[in-house]
Amino acid sequence: MTETATRVIEAQGLMKSFGSLDALRGCDLEVTAGECVGLLGPNGAGKSTFIGCLYGTVAPTGGELRVFGLDPKREPRAVKARIGIVPQENALDEELTVLENMRLYARFVGLPRGMATERIEQLLAHMALDHKRDAPIRSLSGGMKRRLAFVRALLVNPELLILDEPTTGLDPTVRHLIWERVLGYRQEGKTVLVTTHYMHEAELLCNRIVILDAGRVMAMGSPQELIQQYAPGFVGYFPAETEIRLRPNLPPGTATFEQGRQFCVRAPRFEDLTELQRVTNVSAVQLRPASLEDVYLKLTGHGLDENE
Amino acid sequence: MKMNSLITTARLSWHVAVRNWVVYRKDFIANISPTLADPALVLASLGVGLSPFIGHIGGRTYAEFLAPGMVATTALFTAFFECSYGFYIRMTFESVFKAMLTTAIGVPDIVIGEFIWVAIRAGLMATGSGLVLLALGLVPNLWACLLFPFIGGLLALPCGAIGLLSASLVRNINQFQTVYSFVIAPIYYLSGVFFPLTGLSWLSVLVQFSPFYHGVRLLQMSSWGEWNWVEGLSHLAALLAFTIALGWLSFLQVRRKLIL
Repeated sequence: MTETATRVIEAQGLMKSFGSLDALRGCDLEVTAGECVGLLGPNGAGKSTFIGCLYGTVAPTGGELRVFGLDPKREPRAVKARIGIVPQENALDEELTVLENMRLYARFVGLPRGMATERIEQLLAHMALDHKRDAPIRSLSGGMKRRLAFVRALLVNPELLILDEPTTGLDPTVRHLIWERVLGYRQEGKTVLVTTHYMHEAELLCNRIVILDAGRVMAMGSPQELIQQYAPGFVGYFPAETEIRLRPNLPPGTATFEQGRQFCVRAPRFEDLTELQRVTNVSAVQLRPASLEDVYLKLTGHGLDENE
Repeated sequence: MKMNSLITTARLSWHVAVRNWVVYRKDFIANISPTLADPALVLASLGVGLSPFIGHIGGRTYAEFLAPGMVATTALFTAFFECSYGFYIRMTFESVFKAMLTTAIGVPDIVIGEFIWVAIRAGLMATGSGLVLLALGLVPNLWACLLFPFIGGLLALPCGAIGLLSASLVRNINQFQTVYSFVIAPIYYLSGVFFPLTGLSWLSVLVQFSPFYHGVRLLQMSSWGEWNWVEGLSHLAALLAFTIALGWLSFLQVRRKLIL
C-alpha cells in the first residue's frame, strides 16, 4: 500500500504509434504524490499524446501505464474521477453562460446540485470570475476562458491536476494569477503535471522537469540539476560581428552557439566572461546565468553549434 | 459492479442529451423552423397543388396520402441533420467531446446520449408536424397521434446512426452534401412517401433496406387506421435491427475518431 500508493503516475516503455508515425517510443516516467512535474519538449515530441494516455483518450500501443495504480484504458471512469484536466483547447460552450457551462460539467462529474452551486461559486471567486457568472462564454476574453477551464478542472477537487499549456497566449497578469494558483495547489498537496513551452514557467512551478523529444524521455531532474548537468555556468551574448575576435580567446570549457543573430558564449564561471571582454575589448550585450532554456535548446538539438 | 456501471452509463448519457437540449433551446425558433418548414412546403406544393391532377390513391386524396410521410420526413431530417452536421460541429469546431472526455463521460455515453437526444427531439418534432396535419384534417385516425412520438423516435435512431456514421467518415463538412445526395435523398424520395410501392416489384424489394421505409409504413398504417399486426411487427423488427446494426457501426466509427 505505502510504496505504490504514493505513486500517482507510472509509465514504463509506453508506446503509441499512429500508423507509421511513432508518437511515443518507450516513454518511462514516474510521478509521486505532491510533485509538480513539467513536461517539456518541441511540438510533436509526444507531450499531448502522453497526457491523452493518462485519461484514456489515447490508447497506448505498447508498454505499461498506471495512474493511481489503475489502467486508464480499462478503468477510465475511476481514474478520471480523481483527475482535473485543463486541455490545450478550452472547449467551452460558447452560447451558454458561465454558470450554465459549469452546471453542466458539475452534472458530468456527478456533483449533487446543492454542492455544485456552492463549489462553482467558490471556484469562480477563486479564479476572479464571480462577476462574470451570467456572461455568455463568447463575450469572455481569452484569459477569462482559460481561468474558467481551470474552474471546470477543479470541480472534482482533483488529486492530480493536468495542465496542457496552461498559459499559452495569455497576458502577463493572467499568467501570474495562474502561476500563483498552481503554486497554491502544490501547497495543498495536489500533484500537478504541466506541459509548457515557457521555460521560466517550468522553472517557477516545477520541482522536476522531464524533457521529451521524439517520443522518449531525454532528461529528467530538478531545474537546478538539469542546468548543472547539461548547461552549467553563465552565458554572454555578443554582437555577431565580434565572433572573429572572440573565438581565439575563448577560455577552456566554453560552449558557443548562435541565438537571435548574436554570438553566445557559455563559460563555467562568471569571471571567464568578464575576462574575455577585457582581453578582446568587446562588450557583451547581456550576461546571465545559464537557464533551463539553455538545457532545452541543447537537448532538443535546436540552435546549437557543432563544436559542442 | 456491472449493474453500477450500467446505471452510470444511463446517467451520463442522459447528461449528454441534456447538454444538447440546453444549447438547443438557446436558439429555439431558429432551430425548429427548418425541420417543420420542409414538410409543410412539400405538402403545400405537392399535396395541395398536385392533388387535383392525381385523383385518389387507395381511396385517399393525394394530400391525405402524403401526410403520414411528412411526419416520417420530419423525423428523418431532424435525425440526420442533428447527427451529421450537428455532431460533426460538436466534435470538430466546438471540441465539445474533448471537454466531455476529461470527465467521467466516455465514448459509449456520448453515443448513447446522442441517440437519446435525437430520439426525443425527432419524436417531438414528428408529433408537432403530425398535430398540424391533424388540424388540417389529413389524419383520419385520431389515435395515431399518440403513436407519432414513439414511431418518430424509433425511426430517428437508424437515421441518426447514418448521420453519426457519415460524421465520423467525412473528411470535411462539405462532404455531407454527397451523403445527402446519394443516401438521404434516395431514401427520402423512394421509400413510399410520394407514391405507393405496390406494383413496382424491384423497388419494393430494394426499399426493404431503407430504415426510413419501415417507419413510413408504420406511420401510414397507423394514421390511415389500417393497422395490420403482421406487417406492423415486421416493420418494428426491421427498425430495431437497423438500429442495432447501424448504431453499433456508428459507435465503432465514432470511437475511432474520439479515442486515438
